[in-house]
Amino acid sequence: MISRRSLLKWTAVAPALAAGSHAAFARMPHGLDALLLDERFSPEPQPGQPLIPVMRFAGDVTRVWYDHLDRRWREPGYVLGGITGSDALFVLENLAEQHGRRVVSRTVLDEPHFQGVAPISWVIAPHHPSVLA
Amino acid sequence: MSALPPDMDAAGFARLLGELRGAVGSDWVWSGAEDMFPYRDSFSPVWNTGEERHASAAVAPENVEQVSEVVRIAKRHRVPLFPISTGKNFGYGGPSPNVNGSVVLDLKRMNRVLEVNEARNYCLVEPGVSYFDLYRHVEERGLKLMLDVPDPGWGSPIGNALERGVGYTMPHFRDHFGAHCGMEVVLPDGEIMRTGMGALPGADTWQEYPYGFGPDPAGLFAQGNFGVVTKMGFRLLPLPEYYRTGLITVPKRRDLIKLIEHVNYLSDSGMISEVRFASPLSSRMADPDFAALATKLGGPSDVEMDTAAEAVDLPSWAVDLQFLGPQAATLAQWEYAKDRILSDIPGAQAIAGDHFKLPATEQQLENTTQPYASGIRRKAALGVPSLGIWEIVRDDGHVGFFPVIPRDGEAVFEAQRVLGDAQREFDLPPYFSAITVPLFWHTHTFQMVFAPSVKHDDPEHNAMVHRAMKKMVAVAAEHGWGDYRASPIYQDDVSATYSFNDHILRRFHEQLKDAVDPDGIIAPGRGGIWPRRFRS
Ligand SMILES: Cc1cc2nc3c(=O)[nH]c(=O)nc-3n(C[C@H](O)[C@H](O)[C@H](O)COP(=O)(O)OP(=O)(O)OC[C@H]3O[C@@H](n4cnc5c(N)ncnc54)[C@H](O)[C@@H]3O)c2cc1C
Repeated sequence: MISRRSLLKWTAVAPALAAGSHAAFARMPHGLDALLLDERFSPEPQPGQPLIPVMRFAGDVTRVWYDHLDRRWREPGYVLGGITGSDALFVLENLAEQHGRRVVSRTVLDEPHFQGVAPISWVIAPHHPSVLA
Repeated sequence: MSALPPDMDAAGFARLLGELRGAVGSDWVWSGAEDMFPYRDSFSPVWNTGEERHASAAVAPENVEQVSEVVRIAKRHRVPLFPISTGKNFGYGGPSPNVNGSVVLDLKRMNRVLEVNEARNYCLVEPGVSYFDLYRHVEERGLKLMLDVPDPGWGSPIGNALERGVGYTMPHFRDHFGAHCGMEVVLPDGEIMRTGMGALPGADTWQEYPYGFGPDPAGLFAQGNFGVVTKMGFRLLPLPEYYRTGLITVPKRRDLIKLIEHVNYLSDSGMISEVRFASPLSSRMADPDFAALATKLGGPSDVEMDTAAEAVDLPSWAVDLQFLGPQAATLAQWEYAKDRILSDIPGAQAIAGDHFKLPATEQQLENTTQPYASGIRRKAALGVPSLGIWEIVRDDGHVGFFPVIPRDGEAVFEAQRVLGDAQREFDLPPYFSAITVPLFWHTHTFQMVFAPSVKHDDPEHNAMVHRAMKKMVAVAAEHGWGDYRASPIYQDDVSATYSFNDHILRRFHEQLKDAVDPDGIIAPGRGGIWPRRFRS
């Protein structure tokens, strides 16, 4: 289970990545449009209004994909951050590539694994001209 | 790692890319290591070795006219194209080609559901349509049709069917190539052809009568390299009213023989959907003594296995049955199946399972209320696409060998023994043992599964897996069991095993290939078929 401190630390860092070297990400003035949390690693939702929409799932990305990302990734823009298992990221990265998006930041977190699966924080941003905002 | 197309230098490659950009737009042509990374096979046991196959570029046309233009350009430059639909063929090569330097023809932009006909139960789709896309189309229009989906749902009806992939509903729908009806193909010279009734101008039966008149070449495009499929029709199952499940167990090892005969009867009579065989004894594999018995060289005796089962009071085999149809009919079929099997096999037992009206609720799809341990993945069983299967993927993926074996209990026992003995020299989990069950995916045959994992950071492990794959293909073939589908790195090995009459099947395919595609413009090597240019 990822500690609340790590989560806060990482989400605070994410907007700063916008000023980083990745052109696609730098184009997004507000940093992340949404955050995806894998409940196998992330802490329980905290009281209070999150700054950006947060989607939660537990290993299987089917619903997140079908209900949100499949539609959202057909349109330009949309920078998604996440803390998920490496397995879920593999699936998302493949889907992202097919929709003109790339993983522009990826950090294996120094946190406990879940059944051998490592938690990773990442950002997926538009890459192909057809989906750049 | 970037590759150049065969017999081409950097200047020629630059000219090729220029022409491709002219045909499809500069945003839709990719080359260079970073852009080509997604076109590598991340499940490959030859990852980062000299044997890994690398494409040189990828091109994504928007419509059939552009596909035709791309093929003509490739033909002028003598450059092999490797067509993919959604490119998710993991376990069988992913999106990577047979020949280094091929240009991937990525059809992801051709993603229109062209027609779904509820009254006549069919669909017509383009290659970039995924199972999720088709499902959404059916769901949003509220159509009373059931899809048959493979795992994971991100694949495409066309890519999957062209691999002769499988799903999990009624027998004639889960063989996805078998359920296709009519296709449009761009041939190696860029000409556009339609099969079956699609060849008759004005016919409204393209998705109803697959053959048309004369020979039907449709089969050449599955696991073949004779064209680029740009449209394909599929038969769909009218949404059944009701779903019912039930479990039958039998006590003794040799009861599997009769059990399989009954299941064959039920399936071939159209009474049941996909079945899952299981051995309740698999829970005993954690016990080293039992595991040693089940994987014993030459196989354990029936008496030894029956004694082990009796000692823990477990039945030897179970079969999960599924019924689709009107409520009363599913009940009658379950009663019939139960009577038929219980009256013939002493000690057989039956447990009624979950049953409900379709479409299923989210909770029913989660399959949490089954009164017994079940191997059924409910979403797949009801044609609902999912990515949940990813939970079975270990390490950095796996390669698959799925030999086709007869639907016969004795054959199952023999395959357990022979393949179990063959895999002993490799430090791998026991894919074959005295409790291994057959998979009933294709309409009329069984398969078994060998799917060792690969590890990107462990080349020695991968090399062992690579050797194991080749050995299993060879040993299985000695017993008449052939792989149904293979990654490009194993296609020559598998094709070589289909060797009747001095490989006449392969030689015939080569003659056809030489006639229509001597330069190997479309996927040379796919299906083990090489044109003259690459044979020499
Ligand atoms: C965990 C897991 C579970 C799986 N379960 C299943 C399963 O239940 N059933 C199953 O069948 N598979 C299964 N697979 C294998 C694979 O993921 C699917 O078969 C998948 O549908 C294939 O990818 P695709 O549909 O994107 O086809 P693609 O990768 O697009 O196509 C497959 C191949 O067909 C050829 N091809 C594709 N499109 C064209 C075209 N338009 N014209 C000419 N040739 C073309 C190419 O050679 C291509 O490499 C599984 C894989 C994994 C990892």
